[in-house]
Amino acid sequence: MAAFDLVAPATPDEAIAVLHAGGSGEVLVLAGGTDLLFDLEGGRATPRRVLSLRRLPWATLDWNGTSLVIGSTLPLRALENDADVRARFPGLYAAVRAVGSVALRHRATLGGNLGRSAPSSDLVPILLALDAEVDLVGPHGERTLSVDRFVVGSRQTALGPGELIRSVCIPEPRPSAYLWQRVRPFHDISHMAVAVAYSRARTRWRVAVSGFPPRPLLVPEAEEALDGPTPSDHALGLAAEAVARHAPIVADQRASEEYRRQLVRPLLVRAIRAALTPPGAP
Amino acid sequence: MTPGPLRLTVNENATELNDVPSGERLLDTLRWRVGLKGTKDGCRTGGCGACTVLIDGKSSLSCLTLTHDVDGASVTTIEGVGADPVGAKVRAAFEAAGALQCGYCTPGFVMALTGLLKERGRAIPLAELLEDLGGNLCRCTGYVTIVRAATMAHAEAP
Repeated sequence: MAAFDLVAPATPDEAIAVLHAGGSGEVLVLAGGTDLLFDLEGGRATPRRVLSLRRLPWATLDWNGTSLVIGSTLPLRALENDADVRARFPGLYAAVRAVGSVALRHRATLGGNLGRSAPSSDLVPILLALDAEVDLVGPHGERTLSVDRFVVGSRQTALGPGELIRSVCIPEPRPSAYLWQRVRPFHDISHMAVAVAYSRARTRWRVAVSGFPPRPLLVPEAEEALDGPTPSDHALGLAAEAVARHAPIVADQRASEEYRRQLVRPLLVRAIRAALTPPGAP
Repeated sequence: MTPGPLRLTVNENATELNDVPSGERLLDTLRWRVGLKGTKDGCRTGGCGACTVLIDGKSSLSCLTLTHDVDGASVTTIEGVGADPVGAKVRAAFEAAGALQCGYCTPGFVMALTGLLKERGRAIPLAELLEDLGGNLCRCTGYVTIVRAATMAHAEAP
């Protein structure tokens, strides 16, 4: 691993200044490090400086009315262990538990997962389905982007020079679910996953798929087929057809396109049914 | 560039370390600078759990942790876990169940299980506890005796 300068400022302003002072690729941001360290060890990244966020006051979890505001450096395990999160955002709870192992989740963060933006992210799809927003801070102030606008492509985000993710806001609790298919059930990468959530406020289902490049995506054609809060079997069938037909699924080293298009149908049907099953029911 | 000295409390011993490169992982610091070889170097990619230690009481992968990024933390390794009442019970359960063959994965399992039982004690359902050991791989026991040890430790947890 090439030598770099590791800095851990205590305030957001200092962190932004460090990040902004370095040129592109010169400064890398370290949150939990569970993904970044692969690139550092493998020599895929050779930064001059690494900016650790560990001293920033962003390891927070707050309710703002019905909205949940998750600080970007909160370890995923803390999110998972919160009883309200588990009860009110079952899809988010399931997605968090799909990330790595407990030991990994003690260090990995939501901000890190978004900022690193892997195509196989288990968190981006449920954040899409929950219409989550990302709060950014940078040299030119603050701005808020939907997760759909924030995640641009494989390992690409809308973060501008000197910008950091401060928090993620989920506007409202929703019936939701996250289901995946993998080789091993635990501590593996999903090669196909579906996140669903029903917004009572917007009277609309959200359907996101992931596991293939370039990035997790919403599938509006499947959302439109779902005819209300408790879709009929017929509507579920139409939605399954729509997701298999319209999702821009491609092959990669983990699975073929054909396999994924087969797989996405039952995953969607099961995800909707899981979202409609009250927590604790068998 | 090598940053300044850093301080860790390793198994309750205050430890000051100099000349640790910024990119060094906690796994390598523990094994090669502190001389505690009980923490095992498995895959170095967070895939096997053999390097699991407790950082401020929470199970963590020492292969995916920069030592300088945990400056000031308290680290517990397999060598010190017996001083923790929960850790002592977990270790005893592994011995009683004969939950090892080659032993390479054992420190990681003991640390992961200790972390889980310190976190929630007996309140964690057994099925979830076993799921939560899914980040640790064993290539020789077939897991039967490890599950037995985890079940015993769970029953005796506070």
